[in-house]
Amino acid sequence: MKKIIRLGWQTLRKPSAHFSLGFLVVGGFISGVIFWGGFNTALELTNTEEFCISCHEMESNPYAELKPTIHFSNRSGVRATCPDCHVPHKWTDKIARKMQASKEVWGKVFGTINTREKFQNLRRHLAENEWRRLKANDSLECRNCHNFDYMDFTEQSERAANQHSTSLASGEKTCIDCHKGIAHQLPDMKGVEGWN
Amino acid sequence: MKLDRREFMKANAVAAAAAVAGICVPATATNLITGSNQTRLKWDKAPCRFCGTGCSVNVATMDGKVVATHGDIKSPVNKGLNCIKGYFLSKIMYGKDRLISPMLRMKNGKFSKDGDFEPISWEQAFDIMAEKAKQTLKDKGPTAIGMFGSGQWTVMEGYAAVKLMKAGFRSNNIDPNARHCMASAVGGFMRTFGIDEPMGCYDDIEATDAMVLWGSNMSEMHPILWTRITDRRLSAPHVKVAVLSTYTHRSFDLADNGMIFTPQTDLAILNFIANYIIQNKKVNFDFVNKHTNFRLGNTDIGYGLRPEHPLEKKAKNADKAGGSKKINFKQYAKFVSQYSAESVSKLSGVSVKKLNELAELYADPNKKVCSFWTMGFNQHTRGVWANNLIYNIHLLTGKISTPGNSPFSLTGQPSACGTAREVGTFSHRLPADMVVANPKHRKKAEKIWGLPDGTIPPKPGYHAVLQNRMLKDGKLNFYWVQCNNNMQAAANIAQEAFPGYRNPNNFIVVSDPYPTVTAQAADLVLPTAMWVEKEGAYGNAERRTQSWYQMVNAPGEARSDLWQLVEFSKRFTTDEVWSKDLLDKKPKLKGKTLFEVLFKDSDVGKFPLSEVPEERLNQESRDFGFYIQKGLFEEYAQFGRGKAHDLAPYDRYHQERGLRWPVVDGKETLWRFKEGSDPYVKPGADFEFYGKPDGRAIIFALPYEPAPESPDEEYDLWLSTGRVIEHWHTGSMTQRVPELYKAMPDALVYMHPDDAKKRGMRRGDLVKISSRRGSVQTRIETRGRNQVPVGLVFMPFFDASRLVNKLTLDATDPLSKETDYKKCAVKIERV
Amino acid sequence: MNQLIAKRSLANNELLRSRVLTRLFSALFLFAAVLSQMALSTEKEIATLRDETAIDDQKRPAVLPKVDNSDIKKTRNYPMQPPLIPHTVRGYEVNLKVNKCMSCHSRSRTEDSQAPMVSVTHFMDRDGNFLAEISPRRYFCNQCHVTQMKTKELVENTFVDMHQLMKEKQSKNSNR
Repeated sequence: MKKIIRLGWQTLRKPSAHFSLGFLVVGGFISGVIFWGGFNTALELTNTEEFCISCHEMESNPYAELKPTIHFSNRSGVRATCPDCHVPHKWTDKIARKMQASKEVWGKVFGTINTREKFQNLRRHLAENEWRRLKANDSLECRNCHNFDYMDFTEQSERAANQHSTSLASGEKTCIDCHKGIAHQLPDMKGVEGWN
Repeated sequence: MKLDRREFMKANAVAAAAAVAGICVPATATNLITGSNQTRLKWDKAPCRFCGTGCSVNVATMDGKVVATHGDIKSPVNKGLNCIKGYFLSKIMYGKDRLISPMLRMKNGKFSKDGDFEPISWEQAFDIMAEKAKQTLKDKGPTAIGMFGSGQWTVMEGYAAVKLMKAGFRSNNIDPNARHCMASAVGGFMRTFGIDEPMGCYDDIEATDAMVLWGSNMSEMHPILWTRITDRRLSAPHVKVAVLSTYTHRSFDLADNGMIFTPQTDLAILNFIANYIIQNKKVNFDFVNKHTNFRLGNTDIGYGLRPEHPLEKKAKNADKAGGSKKINFKQYAKFVSQYSAESVSKLSGVSVKKLNELAELYADPNKKVCSFWTMGFNQHTRGVWANNLIYNIHLLTGKISTPGNSPFSLTGQPSACGTAREVGTFSHRLPADMVVANPKHRKKAEKIWGLPDGTIPPKPGYHAVLQNRMLKDGKLNFYWVQCNNNMQAAANIAQEAFPGYRNPNNFIVVSDPYPTVTAQAADLVLPTAMWVEKEGAYGNAERRTQSWYQMVNAPGEARSDLWQLVEFSKRFTTDEVWSKDLLDKKPKLKGKTLFEVLFKDSDVGKFPLSEVPEERLNQESRDFGFYIQKGLFEEYAQFGRGKAHDLAPYDRYHQERGLRWPVVDGKETLWRFKEGSDPYVKPGADFEFYGKPDGRAIIFALPYEPAPESPDEEYDLWLSTGRVIEHWHTGSMTQRVPELYKAMPDALVYMHPDDAKKRGMRRGDLVKISSRRGSVQTRIETRGRNQVPVGLVFMPFFDASRLVNKLTLDATDPLSKETDYKKCAVKIERV
Repeated sequence: MNQLIAKRSLANNELLRSRVLTRLFSALFLFAAVLSQMALSTEKEIATLRDETAIDDQKRPAVLPKVDNSDIKKTRNYPMQPPLIPHTVRGYEVNLKVNKCMSCHSRSRTEDSQAPMVSVTHFMDRDGNFLAEISPRRYFCNQCHVTQMKTKELVENTFVDMHQLMKEKQSKNSNR
């Protein structure tokens, strides 16, 4: 085993005998770009709603539930797509999320949520994942659109203005603390903080 | 309201002295009013005016006005709760447009069919009515006279109407709006058990392990029963709730197993459950062998449309719809074996897993189960079948007539049971489940009424749907509508009811507290006293009869339906309405008025005015000179006493929060047909379905058959219609309560967002919905309380300005003659 | 007119009653006659809720009204009336899994939410015993509590608040 590793290392260390340095630098750069671009294109492809709802599990459960909500249909027509809320914009976070998503692929292949009942049964678990993530990143995906600095409290209902100008402003609470179940149906809320 | 005279004088003297001295003496010492003379409310009990649940409410009056209502804590039905409508009962009588005087369509001071409404006196109103009725009798005879009544009439009003129509005018053309509501339930009961109304009661809810809602949205339509179901489900976690419907509604919020099925396939699901029970060897043979018979019903029975309709011509057994032949268990088992989980799943769209789960609730011998249904089953062109099929399931398993085991047919209206069914205000019925076609039944009625043999005509009259057709065809010419709003509620109004009412050969009288759509279509409108403006009694869905006293006076000249019926009877003498042959059989009735013969001189007039408690108002009795409500009730009770329909003495109902009949030896009956709880069951019989001659209930083999109209290329959507919690039926009362109006102002069409998108439409869009019969405009709702599946739309019928019944098909169950308001084909276009 | 009716129900004396009745009726006739004159000049169709539209015709359906979200409490018509909901409840779930309303209105949540606590009656079971939590029979809030759309009622309601009747009596008493 050690021998093989050493051999590999030596090969990598040895200067190239057949290709010019220039070729190697330019070729490496180009293939790097191609590889990188391909990777990102593929990654971006998985970041579209079309991709998400190409699985019937997603289309007939979370997506169907999204439709009657304000994040789907509202007065200005600005709507949230699946990745807007569920995929981080920052590259490192995005990659981390994508690695997590491999589990979802697993779920797809093995039919973990291929019926409405199975989805319902796992709903609490799935919701908790998202709540945890949003709690940890201070509701970053909410704030990508809903920027606290630009909220006009006078345009909000009195109750909302009150909460936003106190708890949210002080950082005591983050969006997800109060706005659970705004885009999809809620799971069993037994024992969830703020619900009983 | 009694004033303490001494206190009154004293206060007056002080005030007078103070006035002289120029000082102002405040009546109380604080900003709150605390004097008992001012704060005292007079409380009394009454059943709620709305649905068939039969909640009792406490009504507070002050200075001749209803000022508050709340749920009656003492009532076993609702134990202090009311739904949103019930809580606003106080305001239903106070719409600003209450009718306060009769109104007649007139031109130049005379009646004219195309004239405008002008107020007239009661005297004038009865003059023109009598003139028109007599002319009609003379020209065409009694079959040209008809009446459309109500399951919201009081028991006494319904009884007086039956007597006036069937005996007085000798016309069987009287039918209640209950025909639209639970005629199929009646058909189901009579066919399976031979006697009407549920065997169980609401106490089943607290005793059961599983509850199944068949096409019923109890959360909105029977809200207080729903609170009992919710209470049971949430306080006893082993209890399961299954809900079946053609779209998702509020009742699904409590469902452990919610199922959306393709319209009409409920028949197949019902047969599948029977098949599942048999296949899994869960039949209770002990019960089945002792207490049931099997029969195979006729199929291909048509759809109750006009006889010239192609579907009617095509139907093989349209004229023998009720026929059936005896079969045995084996034949029955073979019949239902075609309904496998897989095939029914494919037909209905419900998954095999859900179907099996549902069937297991019924099959499991250790689970007590209640089934509930209302309009989903009843408003169905195979409504009687659906009722028969659900009883099959309960009979196969013996899950019936015992606490917690209950196939429970709910009713829509407050007295659909009490007035429409028990009194028999149907075109084919007489009180206590008797029918006009049976000579013995007619004879019994004639005997109780003290009338000559042969007074009651033997041929059933026109039922609700037929009445509108006959009006249009000019065969029904004098027509009186009381206590309902059929121009909004009947199916296919654009083609049948509207041209019928406006047919120049017809004279239409409508009695109502408010100017409804039906009043608008009438020739004469009579102002009516409502709810606690009169004394009455209602009978709810669990056989509970409840009474109430008059608490306030009606505004202006409004008078109760009862007063109108009885007062009108004074305008006719027997010689004018009966043949000489008939009168010769009882010469002493000659020359008398119908008022005397039917009311004053019959058993109805037996109770003197002195029996009306002195502090009670009772406008009718004080006007007629005898306690008319008691007289009508007691005479009517003679029909059912000793016949398993026993009612308690009238006065007792004023003390109780209702009693469930049969009331034998002063005790109410909770579970019928079961030894020990039903005094009519023979000792040792265990169970006895005594409505049938051999005491056995019938298990019917009946198939799935398709609906008369289903979506096609042009009319590509199913339309289902129905109610909402905030409004009572056509909204004539609740739309006048601002809080209820603002909670649900307009009837929108609920549509799946994908269906809307496909047509380039969105929420709020103005659209035209059209069927083969008419069209109506409304706006789209794609979210909210009802989530319809792709391919189906739902629109409620409470909105007088958007008449959805211009679209519905007047196809009926051929057995029950009840319309299917849940299924027809429509298309939707942008306006 | 309403006062007249109220007076009528109070009149014990038969004679007085019939006189009041006669007067009431003549007043009513006059009133009705005037009303009908008005009606004749403006409308031919009587169904108020149809706004003078013939049955075979239809008025253009109004746009969907918005829900009142003002958070302003409305006076109750009588003490037992369930309060109306002064805010939107779009997407609020009340089902087997969750009761959104109670996340603000339950006893333990009101300090945080500053929402009114559900009334004590909600803790009573069918038999009137107080439970430690709201009774499941009251679980579905929307059976008694409704939101209000920002729209004008079609027909005015002449229901009289008992408070007004009390005040009338009080002032009558102090004027004597």
